[in-house]
Amino acid sequence: MKKNNVLLAPFRTICLFICLVITLGLISPKVVHAEYGDVVINNYSEEAGMRPVVFPHWFHRIRFRCKVCHADLGFKFEAGGNKIDMLKIIDGEYCGACHNGEVAWSVENCNLCHSGKPGTTTQVHGSTVQQLVSPEKDKQNK
Amino acid sequence: MKRTYIIAVLLLLSKSLSVQAADVVNGKKVVDLNCVACHQTGVMGAPKIGDTAQWTKRTEKGLTQLTKNAIDGIKSMPAKGGNSLLSDQDIKDSIAYFLSAANVKTESASQKTKDSPISSAKSTKEITPQKKKAVPQKASVASTPSKKPIKTVKSGAMKFNRLMKPPSEWNPAPFEDGIHDPDGEGAYTLQAPKEAFSQLNKASSGNRVDWMKSLDNKKIMPRYDRLDETKKPFVMDLNIVREVKGSMPDVVYPHKQHTEWLDCSNCHPDIFIPKKGANQISMASILMGEKCGVCHGKVAFPVSDCRKCHSKKKKTPFVASKNN
Repeated sequence: MKKNNVLLAPFRTICLFICLVITLGLISPKVVHAEYGDVVINNYSEEAGMRPVVFPHWFHRIRFRCKVCHADLGFKFEAGGNKIDMLKIIDGEYCGACHNGEVAWSVENCNLCHSGKPGTTTQVHGSTVQQLVSPEKDKQNK
Repeated sequence: MKRTYIIAVLLLLSKSLSVQAADVVNGKKVVDLNCVACHQTGVMGAPKIGDTAQWTKRTEKGLTQLTKNAIDGIKSMPAKGGNSLLSDQDIKDSIAYFLSAANVKTESASQKTKDSPISSAKSTKEITPQKKKAVPQKASVASTPSKKPIKTVKSGAMKFNRLMKPPSEWNPAPFEDGIHDPDGEGAYTLQAPKEAFSQLNKASSGNRVDWMKSLDNKKIMPRYDRLDETKKPFVMDLNIVREVKGSMPDVVYPHKQHTEWLDCSNCHPDIFIPKKGANQISMASILMGEKCGVCHGKVAFPVSDCRKCHSKKKKTPFVASKNN
């Protein structure tokens, strides 16, 4: 019996190691690797039964300088900090300044803005704050 | 007890042995996500996809040598094309795809496609869902291959460096970026970043776009006013040099580049008091999203590009422990 144990010891270690590797591989969650600067805004959307909004910074900065939204339209430099709702947008504030069917598509295209994965929280994706300060926020979205 | 171990090991072995033959369908997926950057355009001598002459030349020394070169890297090509997460089988599959695309037949390649029931069964199985997927993609993302990420691309804990993304994860299309709902309308109708960035100047971080260069080269013409296309920004050409502690080069802050994009009121006086010496800035606060970090590390180029800001050599060389 003792001899048997001696023989088994390295075998057991190898098996345990393999199991460990497999479990780690399975557990490691699917990572969100959104485009740098994409902002998910979910202040009110999901409560109201809509998908969260995804705002692609890259798409907008090809067309407008930062100043247009962040100085002229009054967007604060903070994800979710502007408390935007559809009333304000329809009134021509915030997104509504352009998304009125004249400069850009109108508010009737609900699903083009409200295109986020349900359960995604408000944050700037790919930011250092997301990666270093509150990585657990990121995990919620996996 | 012993039996359980043996069964476990046998199961593992059978799993690892089951997929051996070159699978052209998987090869195409691997190539589309990892190899096209060089092999589509033929940059730095990379044999182009579909170029029979070039690929025939590459197979002269045999398929084994070609596979070995792809795995270990050769000349300008990094090992496994720069994505170490790819398995050897992925490399074999991608070579099978390259060769079939270039109409090059090698002994072992033709043998494998003929002889192996696994590969042919697998490819017929996988062709159907791929065809299906091609339909919704047509709207916006013609070049992005498949909805399903490649099985070998792992992330998080299994990665060599969790902060560094392999090229296959750069600029994902909306349906595969993890924040768009793949079942929503937006996932396939919205433009994919890669499509918009193709003509812009490249960078090594962030959006992988050098926004400043793209603006200077007039690759993009963003409006300075919501409606008035002709309105020009008020550009102020004034550099502020900030001497920093430690061994890093001093920081040069250029007003010029910032005023191309921003209004004075964006930064002054809320983020930066417009007075010399009035602002305490540290890398810690920047990483926490304050001061420069309000934009850099979120939207503007990330803090990993140290030398873009720390760009001025110190006048007196830094001595670490003169007084200690």
